[in-house]
Amino acid sequence: MSYFDRTHLVFSGDFLSDVSTVNNDPAHYNNATFKPEYQIPREQGSPIMNGWWNPVGGANFIFQNCNVQMVSMNDGNIKDDPTGDFVVGAFITGPSGRNTGKMVDLDPQEQGTSELWAIKFRLVTCANELLFEGDLKPTPFRDLQYRQQDGITSNGQPLGGVWTSVLTNVKWGERANISPFLQELKAKTKGNKLSINLNAYGYYYNHNDGRFAMGRVLGTIGPWYESDPDLFPACRRLYGIYNAGTDEKPKVYFGSTNFVVDQDWKSLRIDFGMSFPISNAVGTVSMTENLYLAVSKSSLSDGVATSEVFLLEHTFEMIGQVKYQTGDHWLNKTGGIMSFDVGPEHMSLLANHQLVLLHLNDDGDYQLVARESVDGYYLRADNFVLRMDADSTAAVTLYAYQYGKPLSNTNITVAMEAPTPCTPVSDKNPISYIPGINFPQDGIKFSPGATGDLNGKTSIGLLAQRIFKPRDYIDGQIYLFDYQFEGQEPDPAFGVESIYVHLRDYFPVPAQPKWEDIEETMIQFANLYPIMSKYIVDLADPHAVAARATILRFAFSQDINDPLYMPVTRDLSEGKRLTILKWLDNPIMPTGAPTTKQPPQKGCPPESLRAESVPTYNRLQKLVAAKQAQNINLDSTPKIFKK
Amino acid sequence: MLRINPTLVSNILSAQSLEELHPMVQGAIELEHSTIPPYLTALFSFKRGKGKEVRPIIESIVIEEMLHMTIASNILNALNGRPQIDKPAFVPNYKCPLPMGINVGFEVGLEKCSIDVVQNVFMEIEEPETILNINYAVKATDTYKTIGEFYGALAKKIDELAPDIMPGDPAKQVVANNYFPPDELFAIRTKQDAIAAIDIIVEQGEGTSTEPVDMYGEVAHYYRFKEIVMGKKLIKDPHADHGYSYSGAPVPFSNDDVWNIFPTTKVWMLPPGSEQWHRAQEFNYFYTMLLEGLHRTFNGEPTFLSNTMGLMYDVKLTGEKLCEMKFPGKDGFYVGPTFEYQKQPPQQM
Repeated sequence: MSYFDRTHLVFSGDFLSDVSTVNNDPAHYNNATFKPEYQIPREQGSPIMNGWWNPVGGANFIFQNCNVQMVSMNDGNIKDDPTGDFVVGAFITGPSGRNTGKMVDLDPQEQGTSELWAIKFRLVTCANELLFEGDLKPTPFRDLQYRQQDGITSNGQPLGGVWTSVLTNVKWGERANISPFLQELKAKTKGNKLSINLNAYGYYYNHNDGRFAMGRVLGTIGPWYESDPDLFPACRRLYGIYNAGTDEKPKVYFGSTNFVVDQDWKSLRIDFGMSFPISNAVGTVSMTENLYLAVSKSSLSDGVATSEVFLLEHTFEMIGQVKYQTGDHWLNKTGGIMSFDVGPEHMSLLANHQLVLLHLNDDGDYQLVARESVDGYYLRADNFVLRMDADSTAAVTLYAYQYGKPLSNTNITVAMEAPTPCTPVSDKNPISYIPGINFPQDGIKFSPGATGDLNGKTSIGLLAQRIFKPRDYIDGQIYLFDYQFEGQEPDPAFGVESIYVHLRDYFPVPAQPKWEDIEETMIQFANLYPIMSKYIVDLADPHAVAARATILRFAFSQDINDPLYMPVTRDLSEGKRLTILKWLDNPIMPTGAPTTKQPPQKGCPPESLRAESVPTYNRLQKLVAAKQAQNINLDSTPKIFKK
Repeated sequence: MLRINPTLVSNILSAQSLEELHPMVQGAIELEHSTIPPYLTALFSFKRGKGKEVRPIIESIVIEEMLHMTIASNILNALNGRPQIDKPAFVPNYKCPLPMGINVGFEVGLEKCSIDVVQNVFMEIEEPETILNINYAVKATDTYKTIGEFYGALAKKIDELAPDIMPGDPAKQVVANNYFPPDELFAIRTKQDAIAAIDIIVEQGEGTSTEPVDMYGEVAHYYRFKEIVMGKKLIKDPHADHGYSYSGAPVPFSNDDVWNIFPTTKVWMLPPGSEQWHRAQEFNYFYTMLLEGLHRTFNGEPTFLSNTMGLMYDVKLTGEKLCEMKFPGKDGFYVGPTFEYQKQPPQQM
C-alpha cells in the first residue's frame, strides 16, 4: 500500500532541477556537426533552438521551500498544525556537508524517463535537528500527464510527472521520538525503508515569475512493506478517457490516477495530486465542475477520444462527490490525497468492478472522465529503466494485480520493439542525421515470456551482448521492451508500457590509452556540457584535462550512486570510463591536430527490420515530444468539459 | 598591513597551557577563511574567457588560503582543540573588519576585481611585516601587531608548552595530498611539525624577510597580487634589489574584463521571489553546506574532504552565474556572490 498507507505524511514545496539542455537534441552529439551556438540559450519564444533553455545546467536536483503540511495517523486522525504534531512544518533538506543529487535523462533518444540519482532526503526541525534521513533509490519519472489548463502561458511545460521510490538506509533522529506520527511510521515500516511518492508539476523552462528551472512538488511518505514494489505503489488505477484537445494534439486530463480500496477500514484513498487539473504552474485549482467517484456495474473499455461518453445513472453506484477546493491551498496542503468512506455494498462491488470518475454536466448527465483499467488489470515493471554494459545481466521485476489484489500464476509476454529508421537531415532536422533505435535486435537477449508466482511477481532476465557503435556518434543503443498480459491487448486508455534499456557500447580498455582513444568522448562532453568546458575545465583540451587530473580522477572513480560521479549523465560505457581513468594516470598527449570526422552514418537499421509506425498507442511517446515542444497541445483550456 | 589586536599576541605569550591557545588558533582559522570570500568574489567577477593572466594569480592565492585554513585546523586538532566552522558567527558579515584585527577603518567587502581592490584591500591584507624594495620598513609598534608576529608568538608558545608529541588525536589530521603536496600539508604529530606548519603559513603569505618568495621559491601573496597592479609578472632579475623585478610577462587587466557586480550583495537586497533571489539563496546554501562539510572534515572525518569538492564547484558555478545576472532595480549592476550563512535550502519569505 506504500505511500497510500493510512499512516502517511504530506509535504509540498519547490524543487530546483538545473538540468543541462544541450544534450536534449540527439544531433548535438555529433561532434562533426557541432557548432558553438549550440551552447547558447534559446531566446524565449524563438524558433532557433541553439542550446535549448538551459545549456549551462549542472543537473542539480534540490528540494526547496519544502515543508510537512499534514500527517495522517492510522486511526484516520489528521494533524495539519504543529500543535497537533510538531513534525508538521518540518523542513526537507539535503545531505550534510556534501552536494545534492542529480536529475538526468537515460539518453537523448529516451527523455521520457528522467531519473533522480544520489538524492539524500533529510527531514529536519526548524532548528536543523534530524527527524529522519534516507537515500532515495534512483527512480525515473512516469505517468507523465497533462496538468495545466493554461498551457504554457508562464512556465512553458504543461505536464506533470511522478517519481515513486523508497528511502533506504533510513536513520531516525532522537527528536523523532517525540512525534507521535513519526513513532507510528517507524513502528510500521519494514526493512529500514520508507515509501515515498513525488508528484511534480509546474516546471519552468521560462525565465518568468522568478522560477526558472524550478517546479512544484507534492510529496507523500508512508511505511514500506516487504511485498511492495519499490518504484510504484501496489494500487489500482484510473485512466483518463476524455480528450479535451484534438486527435493530433491530445489533451487528456486525469490521465493516470492511483487509488487503493482499504478493506479493513472500508475506505477508498485516491491520489489526485498526480492528476488534478490546475490553472497555473503553482497548483491553483480554478475549475468548478462537479466531479464524482462511482463504481461501474458493467465492464468499461473506452479508449481516449474527443467524443463524450455518458453513463446512465442505473449503470453505476455513487461513492461520493470529489470535494476539492479552488485556490492554491488544497493541493499544496493535502497533496491531493482524498479519502472516501465506502459502504459494505459498494465495498463488495468494488472488489470486482471498475471505479469511475464522472463529471456531472449542465444537462444533468454524467460524463465519463476516467475509468479504472479494463477488468481492473494492472501489470507494471518495477525497475523499468536500466543502464547496461556489454556482457552484463539484469533482471526486471514485474508485478501483476487485478482490482488491487496480486494476480497469481499469470502469463506475461515481453517483446523488443522494432528498429526505428534514422532521420535524415532536412529542414525539420537541420543539424545531423539521427540514428534509429532498437537495433541490432540481438543486442540484448531476453525471454519473451514469463509466469508470475502466487503473489503476481515475476522477473525477466536481460543478457547484454557486445554492440559496436550502432548509433555512430551516440554511445550504445536504446532498446524498448513492451510487456503485457499474454493474450490481452493494451488498455486503450493507457497504452503500452515499456522497459527502457540503454546498452552501452562495448569498448575494451587499451593497455596504454592515448588521447586519441578518449578524444571523441571528451570533445563530446565539452560540447554537450558547457558547465564544464566554460566554467571548470575544457574537456576537449588534453593539457587542461591533465592539469585537473586529480579532481577528474576522483570524479570518474566514484560509485554511480554518489552525487560526484562523472559523467553526471551516467551514460558512459564502463570501458570508456576506465580508459579515461587510465589516461588520467598517464596522460599521453596527442601528436597531431584533433581528429574529429564525420561519422559513417551506419546508424540506420536495414529497411527490412524497421517498424512501419509506432505499433500501439503509447501515451508516453506522445508526451515526451513535449521536450521538443512538438506534437503537444500547448493551448490554454480554461474549460475542460464542453458543458 | 593586517593589523592584529596586540592583546591577542600578548594573550598567546602569557598562556600557561595549550588549552589557552585554542581560541587563538580558532581565530587564525577564522582569519584564514575570511580572506577566501573576498578573493573568490574577485575571481568569480571575471567574464568568461577574460582575465587569463589575472585569474590564475588570484586562484593560486585562494588555494593557499584554503591550505592555511586546513593547516590552522590541523594545529588546533593537534592541540586537542575542536575547530568550529559550521556556525553563523564563523562567516564575517562583509563589509567588515577581518577577524582578530583592530578596527582602524580597514574593512573588507565582496567586490569585483579591480586594480583598486587588489592594491588597497588584497595587498593590504597580505602585506608582509617588511616590504622589500621599499625604502622604509614598517615596524610593529605597541598599538598593533602583524599577523606574522601573531603566528611567530604561536610557534614560540607551542615550542615552550607542548610536549614533543602533540596531545591531539592524530586520526583527526587532514592530510589531503591529492590536493596539496606533502611538504605543505602534513599531519601535525610533533612540536616540530606544528612549528614547520606555521612557517608555511607565514612564508606563503609574506615571503622571507630577504626575498619575495617562500622557502619553496614561490612568490608570496603580497608580491603575487602586486603583479596585477604592476601589470607584469615578478621574475628573477640579478640587477634588481633583492634579485627580483616586475619585468616578466604582461598581466593585463581591464575593467571591461569583469562584471560590474554590486559591492557586497546580500540576499535581502534582492526582490523576494525573483530569479536572482532564488539563485543567491542557492549560492548561500551551497556555501553553508561546504562549511558544514569542512566542519565534519576537521572534526574527526578527515577523508570527508573529498566529498566537499563537489560543493566547492557548486559554489564556484553558482557564484559565477550570479555575477552574470542583472541586479534588479540597480541599473548597470550585476549580482555578486553573497557568502551568507544559510543552513536550509532556499525558502520563500
